[in-house]
Amino acid sequence: MLYVKDLYKSYEVGKNKYPVLKGIDFHVEQGEFVAVMGPSGSGKTTLLNCISCYIPFEKGSITVGGVKLAGQNEETLANIRNTKLGFVFQDFMLLDGLTIRENILIPRIVQGEVNKEAEQLADQLATMFGISHILNKYPAEISGGEKQRAAVARSLINNPLIILADEPTGNLDSKSSRTVIETFGNAKAKMNATIFMVTHDSFAASFCDRVVLLKDGNIYRQLEKSGNRSEFQDELLDALKEMSE
Amino acid sequence: MTHVMNMKQMEQKLQKADRKQSLLYLFCNFMALMIISAYSALMFSPTVQTIFPEGGDSAKQMYMIFVMTLIGCVVFTIYALGLFFRHKSGQLGILMALGASRRRLAPGLFREVLVLSSTSAVAGIVAGFPFVWIIWQGFRLILVDSSEMVLSFDLKCLFVSVLFFLLVVGFACLMAWRYLRKTNIMEVIREEHINEPVKELGRWCGPVGLVLILIGAVMGYGTPFLCDEWFHMYPPSWLSIFYAPVLVGLYMVMLHTVVHGWRSHRKNPYKNIVSRSMMKFQGRQTVNNLIVVTLLIAGACFGIFYLPANGVSAMVRYANQAYDYFYHYRADQNVPDQEAVEALAGKYGLALKDWNECEYITLGMGQVSIIQEEDSNHYTKEYVVMNKEEKVLSEDAYRVLTGQDADVEPGTYMNITDTDETSLYTNNNAREFTNMVTRKQLDTEFAGYLHNNLLSDQVGCSVLSNEDYALISEGLTDDWKGRFVQFNIDGKDNYQFANEFYYLFVNSFDKSCELPYYYDRVQKIRDNEAGEVYWGDTEDMTEVSFEKLDSFSFRVFWVYQPQFRILSQNDFLRSVAVLFMMFLFICIVCMLTALVVCYTRCQTIALNNSYIFDDLKKLGASPEFLSKEVRSQCKNVFKVPTIIGMTAIYMFFIMILYANDGRMLWAEMLALLVCLGILGLLAVIVYAVYRVSVKTIKRQLGI
Repeated sequence: MLYVKDLYKSYEVGKNKYPVLKGIDFHVEQGEFVAVMGPSGSGKTTLLNCISCYIPFEKGSITVGGVKLAGQNEETLANIRNTKLGFVFQDFMLLDGLTIRENILIPRIVQGEVNKEAEQLADQLATMFGISHILNKYPAEISGGEKQRAAVARSLINNPLIILADEPTGNLDSKSSRTVIETFGNAKAKMNATIFMVTHDSFAASFCDRVVLLKDGNIYRQLEKSGNRSEFQDELLDALKEMSE
Repeated sequence: MTHVMNMKQMEQKLQKADRKQSLLYLFCNFMALMIISAYSALMFSPTVQTIFPEGGDSAKQMYMIFVMTLIGCVVFTIYALGLFFRHKSGQLGILMALGASRRRLAPGLFREVLVLSSTSAVAGIVAGFPFVWIIWQGFRLILVDSSEMVLSFDLKCLFVSVLFFLLVVGFACLMAWRYLRKTNIMEVIREEHINEPVKELGRWCGPVGLVLILIGAVMGYGTPFLCDEWFHMYPPSWLSIFYAPVLVGLYMVMLHTVVHGWRSHRKNPYKNIVSRSMMKFQGRQTVNNLIVVTLLIAGACFGIFYLPANGVSAMVRYANQAYDYFYHYRADQNVPDQEAVEALAGKYGLALKDWNECEYITLGMGQVSIIQEEDSNHYTKEYVVMNKEEKVLSEDAYRVLTGQDADVEPGTYMNITDTDETSLYTNNNAREFTNMVTRKQLDTEFAGYLHNNLLSDQVGCSVLSNEDYALISEGLTDDWKGRFVQFNIDGKDNYQFANEFYYLFVNSFDKSCELPYYYDRVQKIRDNEAGEVYWGDTEDMTEVSFEKLDSFSFRVFWVYQPQFRILSQNDFLRSVAVLFMMFLFICIVCMLTALVVCYTRCQTIALNNSYIFDDLKKLGASPEFLSKEVRSQCKNVFKVPTIIGMTAIYMFFIMILYANDGRMLWAEMLALLVCLGILGLLAVIVYAVYRVSVKTIKRQLGI
């Protein structure tokens, strides 16, 4: 589904060059729920932005659904973002001027294919994620948790190959965080969605099938859930503690 | 069910939701275009063009302030466009992130910016005409009216507006294209919240900036004089480049204001820390704004200073005039004599006293003349026999008119200047006078100056010994002779009498006297004898006409214009109405633009920093503290440009007055005092708008 090979990315500030990703290798399978964790500056968000085609990378390759991202023109990359990827951001990134239903439908509108079927799908997703009562409201009128669930619904409207989520619980309280993560679980269970999530939150990560730990631009370790969620969270916390030592 | 069916409809809905931002952009564009359109409409109107002497100082001043306003408006529209796109970028970024390609977004974005920029620009251009018309009619209704104040437009004025329109629309499209070209989508999304800190310089940059402003002003003003003195060259326009340090200095001063502030923070480094950091992190915008506002305020002050500079000296001159009535005429003209004037005065119950009159002659005067090289700014100086006309009095006649002895030795002449010696021209190097009828020449030598305000005019007047006068005047015909007349009114003067006498006096001249004072009959004879056409007989010379006795050009330029104190005092404003009102208009326009820019800047402070104020509220900041922060932000936007713009232009004005003749006359000091009062008034207006801005922002931020 998603293959990342030998990925390098650095930022230039003035004359100085700061390497952020130093040869990352991993893959995500269809239907898998994978999280990336690591301390600030480890390269988590940069990795996600490279996969999302938001920022160009220098070396290596990223393949989504058999399509290599490197070397594609802007039009193709936009099409990949629209049809093959779904996005969930930390600060929701809903458009204030549109209702929640319209926000959910944005990827379809961009595609130019808003029809009855799309509207029905938006309603189904809203029902699945418990936000059908706010479909005609505007983002300013709803809570953070509801906004994020709307964002998850939006990420699924085009039935993407993979959902890319950047700190989806970062701006939420614990109750809303749980709801959002359960929403992802729901999407995975009911729609066989593939989810790749960057997070700081060990609780959120403990819902995943696998967690990739990043440190200083390299993969430090990968952990797979074998037991229950609580045990997996303990295992994660231990690994994070070990990594910070 | 949703109404969103396609991209276009979605974009329209988003545009509707963003109408506050769009309106701000529309307003800024509209204002900038309206101001430029109004300014150029008036500047290029026949009303103004016929009054402003071409190449004169007033015209140069008008064009200079126009350029300043234009720069201000261009920077302002670019700033407004930047604000619009900063806000728009968030929306564009989200759509890009969700898969909207450049090609998909381009039509909607270009449509939006084209519609917004072109409609606001066209509306601004069109509104400029009623705007200027209303203000001008207001002047006519409230301040002064004359036949010359009738406003007409020349479509030539649209040239500048259309160029500005193209710039606005072109720049809007360029900016849209720039955003669509961005490859880093995260950068586009975050653009709205990205700070724009300026490059910090040390605390030295403020004082150095002030010094640079001073150096630039002195260099810019002084270089043309040096060019004249050292290279015998008329200063080319590119010499204005020497004013450049003023702009650099201004930038450094504003940078210092934004980065460091002018108060020492050693004692309390945390004082105003929030507002200072807010300014600092939007430094680029803030510095640009402060410079624009400073230039506009300086332009407004420079424009309005024209009024006291010219008005006060005229009023002082009229008040100190030695006689109530003073005039001269050619001997071949049938001008009312003393008996006729007394009869007219009697009609108004007035009696005349101190009547004096005496003869003068007009001779050709030798003079060192400035001869400009062809196709070059360079000139050479060369003595020319019969270079100009000069009115000449005998010692006796001078005594009759002034009550003073002249004591001019035969073979010499004395030149008459005013008591302040501001009219010292080049009449001090004549080697001979020429009788223009007999061509007899009288060798002579300059023997010094005599002082009399009424006799010193633009043509020039000299005194010869009685013997020389008798010798050189032999054979002169009446058209080369004339009479000076002066008298007072016994008791209080009457305007109606002065007015009727004025028309009677002017109407007694024949067409041969329908000339401006700069029409030189001696030069004409010289040129014609050399087979050349005298420039005064071409269309180049501004004409005066007996058909337009109340026109500015007639009242100012007619060669026999009499000096009737009561008439001058009452009609002064009417005769210079167009000039004065143009500069008053310039002041209003520049000030209005400056205030709009300041107000808009304050609005953007509220828009851009609302989240900071929200955070401060959450951190427990009291309404009083938040109000203080808002005031502190706005104060810098209004206060610093006002102080710097006003101070700089006031100092510059002092320098001009002083550098004119190397001293300061008391009429000039009085004018400076009036200017100071005007600055006070303008400062009050700025303060009032500042208060309104603070109030509006506080309301917007919910403080």
